[in-house]
Amino acid sequence: MGSITKGQAHFLLLKIHSLTGLVPIGLFLTFHLLVNSLRTVGVLPYQWSIDVINNLPFLIWIEIFFIYIPLLFHSFMGFYITQVAKMNAIRYRYPRNWMYVMQRLTGAVVFVFLIYHMGTTVVPKIWNGHHLFEAAPFLIEVMNQEFATWTGRIIYLVGILSATFHFANGLWAFCISWGIIIGPRAQRNASIVFMLFGGVLTVLGFATVLEFSLHPVDVEPTLKGAF
Amino acid sequence: MPEDKTIRLKIKRQDQPDSKAYWEEFDLPHKPRANVISCLMDIQMNPVTRQEKTVTPVVWESNCLEEVCGSCTMIINGKVRQACTALIDALPQPIVLEPLTKFPIVRDLQVDRTRMFENLKKVKAWIHIDGTYNIGEGPVIPEKQRAKAYLLSECMTCGCCLEACPQFTKNNNFVGASTISQVRLFNMHPTGAMESEERLETIMGDGGIADCGNAQVCVEVCPKKIPLTESIAEIGRETTLQLLKNLFLK
Repeated sequence: MGSITKGQAHFLLLKIHSLTGLVPIGLFLTFHLLVNSLRTVGVLPYQWSIDVINNLPFLIWIEIFFIYIPLLFHSFMGFYITQVAKMNAIRYRYPRNWMYVMQRLTGAVVFVFLIYHMGTTVVPKIWNGHHLFEAAPFLIEVMNQEFATWTGRIIYLVGILSATFHFANGLWAFCISWGIIIGPRAQRNASIVFMLFGGVLTVLGFATVLEFSLHPVDVEPTLKGAF
Repeated sequence: MPEDKTIRLKIKRQDQPDSKAYWEEFDLPHKPRANVISCLMDIQMNPVTRQEKTVTPVVWESNCLEEVCGSCTMIINGKVRQACTALIDALPQPIVLEPLTKFPIVRDLQVDRTRMFENLKKVKAWIHIDGTYNIGEGPVIPEKQRAKAYLLSECMTCGCCLEACPQFTKNNNFVGASTISQVRLFNMHPTGAMESEERLETIMGDGGIADCGNAQVCVEVCPKKIPLTESIAEIGRETTLQLLKNLFLK
């Protein structure tokens, strides 16, 4: 392709923004909510899942290149896109226009939520040097405290709902942007399917919050070499 | 309709492209089957406000008076539409007229819509004819394709889709739904398809297809009911294929 013009760079950045929303961020969100919902089965399977993740080789690099960089890129491009546009859903009250506003609003909510979420989990985990098998007991203890108050529960419910909506609605926009679904009927059907998918993710997240809130269980350290 | 009924028009006026806008109200006697254009014509003949003050006549643009040219597009009671098909009897009073907000104002209700025509030029929204050599007759277009193309060809570049689009603003370069739909129209024409790659490369740039935010207001406000969101998705597909072609074949 040789050198890229400014216009082509603009196009590619927006396309990468769209792509990163699905891969890896959307996939991570699905995986994260699914794995965490193991908490509803019991503390032990949940603890083992955290052990597996925290014992992955090159974990910090996986996190940096597959989560933090795409997430920061997607967020800052999102804020840029929102800033150059001019919302008008008050004047043009159509359902899709409201979804357009909600997409931007939930994106901002998730951004703020993630600063909080990482500030209470990943940051103290790394700061206090809880790696490998030490991570799970530390993180579960953090989560028990998070869900001990109504403030904490509401923060998580809002964060989860914003993230699942943003992903489900974003999937729909992704499919249009990349030309996977074309006609008006296909677009409507896809929006129903993706909203159902978003609903499933929300249920997974809410069930985890519910389980933590109703049955906070004191965590035992995982035995060395449990796997 | 009672004979003595009056029509009240509230018009947003502006004397110069960069001067301050102000509102003026006009009361007109009700006439049967009047539309916004005929009322503006009445004001032109007798430019006296509700406060009995004689003012300069209101400036607006119009041409065909049958909703095929798009030049009388303005904001009527908060919604973008053509003034010629805005029938007075179907509108709640007072009737509020504002110029389009996404284009530079020339005067009163008249705006400069050059940007739309520049965008059409950028994407080569035309079919090439013979140059220094004969490019020959095009193939026959199947009826189904012709019917589809006809729908897209009804676009009159009125600017409703752009005015209502949250992504189309004065401080960005987005070309908007109408231009993207024209790319689709000329790419689906067998002779026009000869320039399809050039059109796609243009639309894969600053202000192109990727700037669409899928608010889908364009399709709601289009007076010609053009399937704009379908066009955007179709061009989304064509540009994705072009991107893959650029990445893996070139």
